[in-house]
Amino acid sequence: MAASPFASRSPSVAVASPNTLRLRATAAQDSAGGVLASKSVSNTDQELTEQLNDDVRHKYIKDKKLGEGTYAVVFLGHLRDDPSSFVAIKKVKVNAEYKDGLTMDAIREVKYLQELSHPNIIALHDVFSSKDQNLSLVLEFLPRGDLEMLIKDGDIQYGVADVKAWMGMLARGVWFCHENFVLHRDIKPNNLLIASDGEVKLADFGLARSFADPYLNMTHQVITRWYRPPELLYGARQYSGAVDVWSMGMVFAELLLRVPFVAGNTDLDQLSKICEAFGTPTEENWPGVTQLPNYIPTDRTQLVPVQGRDFFLRQFPTAGPVGADLMMSMCALDPRKRHTALQVLRHNWWMIDPQPTRNEDLPRKSGAKKMGEDMGRRGGEIDDGPFKNAARQLDFGAKK
Amino acid sequence: MAANYWASTQRRHWLFSRERLADIREKLREQDKVSHSQFPLPDQRLLNIYCNQQLIKLGKRMSTRQQAIATAQVYLKRFYTKNEIRQTNPYLVLTTAFYLACKMEECPQHIRFVVGEARGLWPEFITPDVAKLGECEFALISEMSSQLIVHHPYRTLTELQDELPLSSDEVALAWSVINDHYLTDLPLLHPPHVIAIMAIIISVVFKPAHSSNFGGSAQSTLSGAMRDGSGMNMLAALSDKTGHGPPRIQKLVLWLAESEVDIKAVIECTQELLSLYEVWEQYSEKNCKELIGRMVKTKNLDK
Repeated sequence: MAASPFASRSPSVAVASPNTLRLRATAAQDSAGGVLASKSVSNTDQELTEQLNDDVRHKYIKDKKLGEGTYAVVFLGHLRDDPSSFVAIKKVKVNAEYKDGLTMDAIREVKYLQELSHPNIIALHDVFSSKDQNLSLVLEFLPRGDLEMLIKDGDIQYGVADVKAWMGMLARGVWFCHENFVLHRDIKPNNLLIASDGEVKLADFGLARSFADPYLNMTHQVITRWYRPPELLYGARQYSGAVDVWSMGMVFAELLLRVPFVAGNTDLDQLSKICEAFGTPTEENWPGVTQLPNYIPTDRTQLVPVQGRDFFLRQFPTAGPVGADLMMSMCALDPRKRHTALQVLRHNWWMIDPQPTRNEDLPRKSGAKKMGEDMGRRGGEIDDGPFKNAARQLDFGAKK
Repeated sequence: MAANYWASTQRRHWLFSRERLADIREKLREQDKVSHSQFPLPDQRLLNIYCNQQLIKLGKRMSTRQQAIATAQVYLKRFYTKNEIRQTNPYLVLTTAFYLACKMEECPQHIRFVVGEARGLWPEFITPDVAKLGECEFALISEMSSQLIVHHPYRTLTELQDELPLSSDEVALAWSVINDHYLTDLPLLHPPHVIAIMAIIISVVFKPAHSSNFGGSAQSTLSGAMRDGSGMNMLAALSDKTGHGPPRIQKLVLWLAESEVDIKAVIECTQELLSLYEVWEQYSEKNCKELIGRMVKTKNLDK
């Protein structure tokens, strides 16, 4: 990185190579520990701070409004010096009535996107503030819509090779988050935006958080219902990256079926649909499940046995036996038996034919919907469809 | 703790050399010589002790995590590398740092509650207007270039506890030493794992006489041990890898030598901490309170 502290925030932000990940902050014995070039660290000049903010703001020109949601307004913008370099400017709404401080959504988004840099995660180029105390996030512009649009568009034909390409990009993005101790907690097709070169990018970090320290509780009111794993529906307060892997499994299923695989009307309905589809959780197939806070015992006569490989093969014939096996590993009821993002990436499915479609050959939607509508939503909201999901609340009183 | 320290904004933008930090502060002083001569403030570390005590008071009734207090302290340090303290209302800044840190460490508190508590503690300095805190939050985020994740040494300590291994008394003492390092400039000068190693060495060398609690400071435990001098000799032995200390310490020295951690940096941190404990003896809460109060009132910084 160059000497200026703001160099990393220029639009041509360098992408960290995945192997730098092996170095962890916590690995005290790491050899990189000795080499801290303190000289290159900061050249900030205090009197320049305000100037810098203005400079950043003037670097961009705001164009038309792309969309608006409960949480933000999104504008198309471009670099002042280069009208062809587009960005999305997400202006966080502030409650005008009384200022309640910045929402957790905005804080989380800035917090994590500042640190995570990966080809499959939306890039945050800059952050600036304006006079009316609005925080604006300058994000990578992703003009080709999202995976949900592709799934829903009946005019678009796609095959398993395309699904493999999209899932591969999703899995790499999720793996990178987990490797950096971040849970995304809102993976779903309309948070997977598509860049002009076809690359899929994980967006909307409004619900993301760091892995909790051991024994600390987290909220279970996360992840849009259809993509929410059984442990969260049972009210688990301590969970892991496995929650994101379940969501990935649901996205995988939806890409293959072109409808949401388990779409409950309520949290309870979601649970019973999961049981019908994958089997009823019991102490035998999921030790400890009966101890979860919102566990509901099922009548013995209603028990559905845990589904085996042939079920997945029947449901998802296009995935082939190896693909069905991967799907099954992502949809294990017991989060401890579910594959990790790394195990998903190491699965044999990626190696066998068909090879994933190259980005430039991936099907694309013509007349793309705007990026703005996706990004203005608050996490967890579904904006259309017959089952209007109420946005879950992450209220400030909630514990951790 | 999230993301990768080596690629973090903390390492890239918020790690200073001692000279650079001195430079920055000198510049701040030059810009406002008048205030500096008019409003003398105690040693930075004494001021830090005072701020920390105020943060702890603020956090007490809100069941805050230690880590949020630590993050707030780092925010204060970062903020005051860009702003002269004499231009600010330190009570408002520390309340805001606390409020933001709580959100950041996933133990959010409602803004009204925080303002209410702060007013209860410092009624002369905090207005009931919640928007003030909102504004200040904004300034804080901007001044920190919205780089908000702070990597702390606590996790390294927890991870090394089994590897070394450390007794629970040693872990508790090391934990308190980490709490104390936020009273110095060390968080701006060294990466968290170096701090953690320093805390471990101190805790092993100056065996805890009695178990201390995790929330507190190690000052009372350590300043006594320092006075009798035996620990200092052992510290000296650390730089000599063939040291003849007791086996427990030899083992630690050996582990350190293999770990490739920057031993010089660790020793520097140790000295910084020990000198903190010396300065601590001059600490007077009343004095800090009066000086800050006079400054804020005279300059109308609370408006």
